[in-house]
Amino acid sequence: MADKMDIDAANGEKEEGKIGPAPGLPTERVITNNFNLINQAVDSFDARFTLRALRSIATIRKAANFPEALAIGIRTAFPKPQNNARRVLEEMLPEGMRSSGGQQNGSGEANGGAVKEQDVVEIAEVWAYLGVLVQVYLFDHQEYQRGADFSSNFVDKIRSFNRRTMDPIGAKAYFYYALFHENLNPLPPSKQSPVIDIRPKLLAALRSAVIRKDDETQAAVTVLLLRNYISTADITQADLLIAQTQFPASAANNQVCRYLYYLGRIRAIQLAYTEAHANLESATRKSPTAGPAVGFYQQATKLLIVVELLMGDIPERSTFRQPSLESALHPYFKLVQAVRVGDLQAFLKCVHAFEQQFRSDGTYTLILRLRQNVIKTGVRMLSLSYSRISLRDICTRLHISSEESAEYITAKAIRDGVIEATLDHTHGHLITTPARDAYSTTEPSEAFHARIEALLGMRDECVMAMRYPMNKHRQEIAEAAKARERERELAKEIVEGDADADDGDEGGFEGM
Amino acid sequence: MGGLTSAAGVVGYLSEPDPAIQAFALERLNENIESVWTEVSGSIGIIEALYEDETFSHRELAALVLSKVYYQLQEYNEAMVFALGAGKYFDIDNAEEYEETIVAKCVDTYISLCALHNPPKPASSIDRTSSEFGDSMSSNANGAANASLGVGSPTTPFTQSYLPSKSLLNRDEETTWDASAPGGGNAGVPGAHPHPLTLSNATKKSLQSVIRRIFRSCYEVGAYKQVVGIAVEARNMEIMREAILQATQDEKGHGKKTVVASPSQTEELMEYVLDICLNVVQERGLRNQILKLVLGLLNDIPNPDYFAIARCVVYLDQHSMASDMLQQLVRKGDGRSLAVAYQLSFDLYENGTQEFLQKVMEELPESDDVEKTEEPELNGDAVRPGTPHPNEDENAAESQQLLSELQDSTGASSTVLPSRTKSQPENEEQKKAFASIRSILRGTKSIELNLEFLFRSSRSDKAILNKVRDSLEARNSIFHTSVTFSNAFMNAGTTVDSFFRENLEWLGKAVNWSKFTATAALGVIHRGNLGQGQKLLEPYLPKDNANTSQGSPYSQGGSLYALGLIYTNHGTNVLDYLQRQLKTTEDEVVKHGGALGLGLAGMATGSEQIYDDLKHVLYQDSAINGEAVGTAMGLVMLGTGNVRVLEDMLQYSHDTQHEKIVRGLAMGMALVMYARQEAADELINGLLEEADPALRYGGIMTVALAYCGSGSNKAVRKLLHVAVSDASDDVRRAAVMSLGFVLFRKPGSVPRMVELLSESYNPHVRYGATMALGIACAGTGLDEAIDLLEPMTKDSVDFVRQGAFIALAMIMVQQNEAMNPKVNTIRKQLQKSIADRHEDAMAKFGCALALGIIDAGGRNCTISLQTQTGNLNMAAIVGMAVFTQYWYWFPLTHFLALAFTPTAVIGVDQDLEVPSFRFHSNTRPSMFDYPPEQEVKTEEAPEEIKTAVLSTTAQAKRRKLAKDKQARRESMDVDPTPTTPKATAADDKMETDEDVVDTGKLAEEKEAEKDGEKDGSSSSASAIKRKVEREKVGYEMENMSRVLPGQVKFVSFLEGRYQPVKKPTGGVILLEDTQFGEPKQLLEMKARKKSAPPAPTPGQTTGGSTGAAGDTDMADASAVPAGAAGGAAAAAGVLTAIDEDEEGAQEAPVPDEFEVSEDEGEGDE
Repeated sequence: MADKMDIDAANGEKEEGKIGPAPGLPTERVITNNFNLINQAVDSFDARFTLRALRSIATIRKAANFPEALAIGIRTAFPKPQNNARRVLEEMLPEGMRSSGGQQNGSGEANGGAVKEQDVVEIAEVWAYLGVLVQVYLFDHQEYQRGADFSSNFVDKIRSFNRRTMDPIGAKAYFYYALFHENLNPLPPSKQSPVIDIRPKLLAALRSAVIRKDDETQAAVTVLLLRNYISTADITQADLLIAQTQFPASAANNQVCRYLYYLGRIRAIQLAYTEAHANLESATRKSPTAGPAVGFYQQATKLLIVVELLMGDIPERSTFRQPSLESALHPYFKLVQAVRVGDLQAFLKCVHAFEQQFRSDGTYTLILRLRQNVIKTGVRMLSLSYSRISLRDICTRLHISSEESAEYITAKAIRDGVIEATLDHTHGHLITTPARDAYSTTEPSEAFHARIEALLGMRDECVMAMRYPMNKHRQEIAEAAKARERERELAKEIVEGDADADDGDEGGFEGM
Repeated sequence: MGGLTSAAGVVGYLSEPDPAIQAFALERLNENIESVWTEVSGSIGIIEALYEDETFSHRELAALVLSKVYYQLQEYNEAMVFALGAGKYFDIDNAEEYEETIVAKCVDTYISLCALHNPPKPASSIDRTSSEFGDSMSSNANGAANASLGVGSPTTPFTQSYLPSKSLLNRDEETTWDASAPGGGNAGVPGAHPHPLTLSNATKKSLQSVIRRIFRSCYEVGAYKQVVGIAVEARNMEIMREAILQATQDEKGHGKKTVVASPSQTEELMEYVLDICLNVVQERGLRNQILKLVLGLLNDIPNPDYFAIARCVVYLDQHSMASDMLQQLVRKGDGRSLAVAYQLSFDLYENGTQEFLQKVMEELPESDDVEKTEEPELNGDAVRPGTPHPNEDENAAESQQLLSELQDSTGASSTVLPSRTKSQPENEEQKKAFASIRSILRGTKSIELNLEFLFRSSRSDKAILNKVRDSLEARNSIFHTSVTFSNAFMNAGTTVDSFFRENLEWLGKAVNWSKFTATAALGVIHRGNLGQGQKLLEPYLPKDNANTSQGSPYSQGGSLYALGLIYTNHGTNVLDYLQRQLKTTEDEVVKHGGALGLGLAGMATGSEQIYDDLKHVLYQDSAINGEAVGTAMGLVMLGTGNVRVLEDMLQYSHDTQHEKIVRGLAMGMALVMYARQEAADELINGLLEEADPALRYGGIMTVALAYCGSGSNKAVRKLLHVAVSDASDDVRRAAVMSLGFVLFRKPGSVPRMVELLSESYNPHVRYGATMALGIACAGTGLDEAIDLLEPMTKDSVDFVRQGAFIALAMIMVQQNEAMNPKVNTIRKQLQKSIADRHEDAMAKFGCALALGIIDAGGRNCTISLQTQTGNLNMAAIVGMAVFTQYWYWFPLTHFLALAFTPTAVIGVDQDLEVPSFRFHSNTRPSMFDYPPEQEVKTEEAPEEIKTAVLSTTAQAKRRKLAKDKQARRESMDVDPTPTTPKATAADDKMETDEDVVDTGKLAEEKEAEKDGEKDGSSSSASAIKRKVEREKVGYEMENMSRVLPGQVKFVSFLEGRYQPVKKPTGGVILLEDTQFGEPKQLLEMKARKKSAPPAPTPGQTTGGSTGAAGDTDMADASAVPAGAAGGAAAAAGVLTAIDEDEEGAQEAPVPDEFEVSEDEGEGDE
């Protein structure tokens, strides 16, 4: 189901990691360097540094010595072995690490003094960062139960800190917290799944985040809740949640993507295809089309294709040619082919053949709704091809059992605005009204306007997303001042030069 | 049963008819509300119905569920209302987010509710004047003035249409529902708070009880400040009273066991309330209310903090209370009470207006009836200072007191009546005490002490002055004037006028208005020399026998101006004289000086008589007088908000053709509205709508002065708007500049605010930005301000550079290397720019001024627009405001001297004598030391190099050489001057710079001797000891030493004979003598001694000129008077000269362009 996408994302990350490992630096160094970044973030109250530290998780987790490095990181951050925070974190690491950690503690005591002199500031953010790394470790080693237990305490602890510099890390922690619970048996679609138990905690976190104006956690938790509801098919609740909360405008792009995706999903299930389409389209546009998160892109595109089909549109051929999508979208390609020509047989065959795939993509139920569309598409094709066609012919071409049902279908199609035609009931004919000249209407300009608006919106968003360095204009002013200075100097020189030149001339005259 | 996954079923139960089922459903929902609220939110209607149903048994539970749902929906108002309806279910002690949020909301609502019941009302006096003026404005100003009000019809009186400032605190701007907004609602801020009126009575009641519970828990933990804070915001005086009383009670309860040394809780709380009241609360009505309350409470407390009371009293204008308090203290009779009474008087003087002090004095018991008999004689003396004073040698303080006694009868006509009913003091001692208090309240004592301090410790650096003089060509009047200013500022208040005497030739080059300015500079230098001021100026003053040909009108006018500067704010004994001069003289220049002098001396007296005289001169419609007269009218009526005066001035400004007069009047109107805040709005709006830019300029200055130091957002907004929108450069400049006045209490916020303006394309706006920074950050050394100003010293426009120099100096005044490392670079830059051949005249003028300002008052003055206790320093603000008018009229530059505040700790004992004692400063000596003296260097080298350059012929070579020359000259100029190490600077100076600060040195030596005697060791031994201790943290200082404002917090008093009666602040501190009656060491009053000799007679003048050369040699104390008098006479001779036949002035050419430059050139710059 939906969780697939995140795992896809995780896989993508892994693949990506192999291509470009961290250049040179040993993993433990990366971790300790990140401590500095986090310290900097806390000092300057700038979340950018924290985000940079979190970004490196993707590379760290791929390292062969990730657990060892993590153990070293923990020891560096908390030099005292009896430190409670350290103990809690280390307990989660495998036995070997712990014992080796214990041994090293013996020797570590020796250089413990040195470490202490370094005076690593024990700030809560560093601790939280290590906690997230532990979560990652546990997740990678599929220790879901332990991870879930650890995470429950972990997020509680994080919530008790009311610190804005903690927010990005907290959001991450909640993400893993939810992820662990999703992987516990019984798995989500079941109503006994542990995902249901974590809802109160997530809702409470959402409330705290709203009150504390913690946009990051708010966005992350909203998305997690939607995902949670959808995983157990509680669409009504998800819908109510959306209706009664506001998604923070300043949320990170990837959270916005996810939110839009889930929103599109919910709307699609609720038959609001136009809305779903808009949401999914922005989700795919906003999501990265390559790199670690390609799984999300694939998933969103699949859903988008289905929704487009449901709306009676045919996705563009080029969508299926994208290298990152080609293989993943193969079943959907077949599906679209069937729908495009309105071939009900081919459609059914295709659905049957790829049922497994569709089910795992969570699109199966939506695809079943397509049957009507296939027929409608067929009718439309016919209406485009013939100015007049008898219902009987429609029956044979669309493999419809009776003329009556053909009449119903066409009548429905006319009413829905799929085709512009009239039915001649007495003669059993479908008469297509001749197509009007679209260019004589305001439609083209409206479409044009919509495009321009979309582009302008995008531009505005880009401008707003840019960072403007402080006091950049100062340089220009300084340069202008310098230029003035030079000018003045030049003027001075000219004046003096003139005076001298006069002298010289006089001298010249005297000489002559 | 575990948590609900979906509430759909339970919600269904709610519609069941059985109340039991409904109650069950509610309970279930309440338990799980956090997970299922999304589903419940659809059924709010049903639950609300349950809550409304009176018969339903679980109404309160329903309310709680509703509250929680609304809370989740972020509808906090509804959540609060229902939480209040939930009664016992809503538990505020449960510290969860929900409860916290609701409680916070409750407090907010409570505040707005209380604020609604206690709407802000303007102070009654404001109310009266403004409404009258409102009517007058609507009748005589054009309709546009009223259109700006927007809310009312043109005939609506001001009080009804105008809405007082609502913002208590800045954040209120956004959130608080405005109790006073039109229609009485939060129309502008929808949904900020539930409208208090919509709350039902039951809700209000439970709100009250919740708030009570909160307060009670606050009391339990001793968090009184929070309660007081809420009370202030809520304008609820009852709560505040209760909180303070509670605090006192608590203290009594277990106060016995707490350590006495720590300041008591109540005191701390009082301190906090006063602080909030004076610095945060912007609305005068509320402030008065709070102060009244605090005043009442302070009196109830058994051991009152008299100084806190004094602050309230001054602010509330409760003069009778002040006098009662003083009487009480005097009647107690013991040494400490007396000391407190004196200290109180000093505080009152520092913070009160002349009018207030006058009233306090009236109510004090008569000190001595005999004194009255001497008045006529004294009066005569004041007018004819030539006659020696009979009492002169006995007791200067007494004579001044007598002098001022006269002001009781002449200045205020009402004095006579209450004096009949004055109670008589009981005994001689009290009589004496009241006499002393009077002398303090009159200010003569503080002025005398300050003068003594400035004279005694003057460290002005003559080398700098000489350099300025040498760099600026005196033939050019602007340069001559600027040197005069530089000199005046450097020596302001020190009475050291030797520069004039030593530079007679230079002085002789002063002509016309330069002469006027130079003469007036004497006033700045002798500022506060109340005893001898008039005598000093005697040679210059116009003679009574109307023989006008006797002296130059310029020096006569200047001397009248100088007289005003000397007697600023204490002019009663010269007012008559000035008035007479103004009336009798025919010369416009003399009138000009007379008007300025009168304005200064009669500042804030509100005297109708003076005003009428000035008006009479004004109606002669002379451009030269008009400007000065307009300003003077404002000065006399300073801060009165007198409607009739404003009407007159506005009317005349419409009638006259002269721009100068209009400008003078505009400035005058601004001065009349000084510190009136909201009451000035009518005038401001009216003036800002005028078509004449000069009047709009006045409107902006009115904003600056009416809202000075208030930090009012409204004012700032208006200024910023005008700063970018007005069509006139003058108005825009003034608007930016005025930001400095409004925000000077928060200097840190100004750099950010003017940052963009300082980069404006419009040079006038840039100039305004520099001045705003200078005014607001004066004396702070604020880095951000300096960072902004430094690049502006290289601006492409000359007057912006000028402004930047002046502002930098104002900010850097009294800063040394240790406090601010930039100070040296800036000093160097100033000196470099002033010597730069290619620098524009305007910028050089600014440089000269800056060099004067940065060493203001012999390096013993700072520029501060507020007093040590944080009140507005009226003279300083006015001085600064008029100073900014130097843009149009250079002589007004002298007004800046009013803003110079001496920074000293002066200890005074119960007999108002200055004992010799030492106190401790817990800093490194170098931290707050004087900046090192400038080295005198002979620097002719650049000239030689220049001749060498001329011999080359090839253009390229010449260019190159010119560049070299430039570089070398610069390197010479930037020669690092302070070669003496800082650490030893203080003592080395003593030995090396005899010729520069001879008098200062003398003083120090004498002190050192005294110290030696006191310590029982020889002075040399103590000097050596001091050297050893150098640079250790902490050192001792002698009484009357310079203590910078930043240093005050490090100052502590040693255990010893003298103990201060209050926490040390700068200024005069009363000391309690623990060994009263024993003989004591006193510091000699040098300033008084120095100027004690009889005034120079005309016969002495000739002899004086020969003595002028040797007048710096003051080793012999007895030689001082002769030399000083002689030099003064010579200077007088030069300045009063009309023609060129005088010896000193013979080389001075008459620059033809002068009249032009002062009228047009300077005016339009």
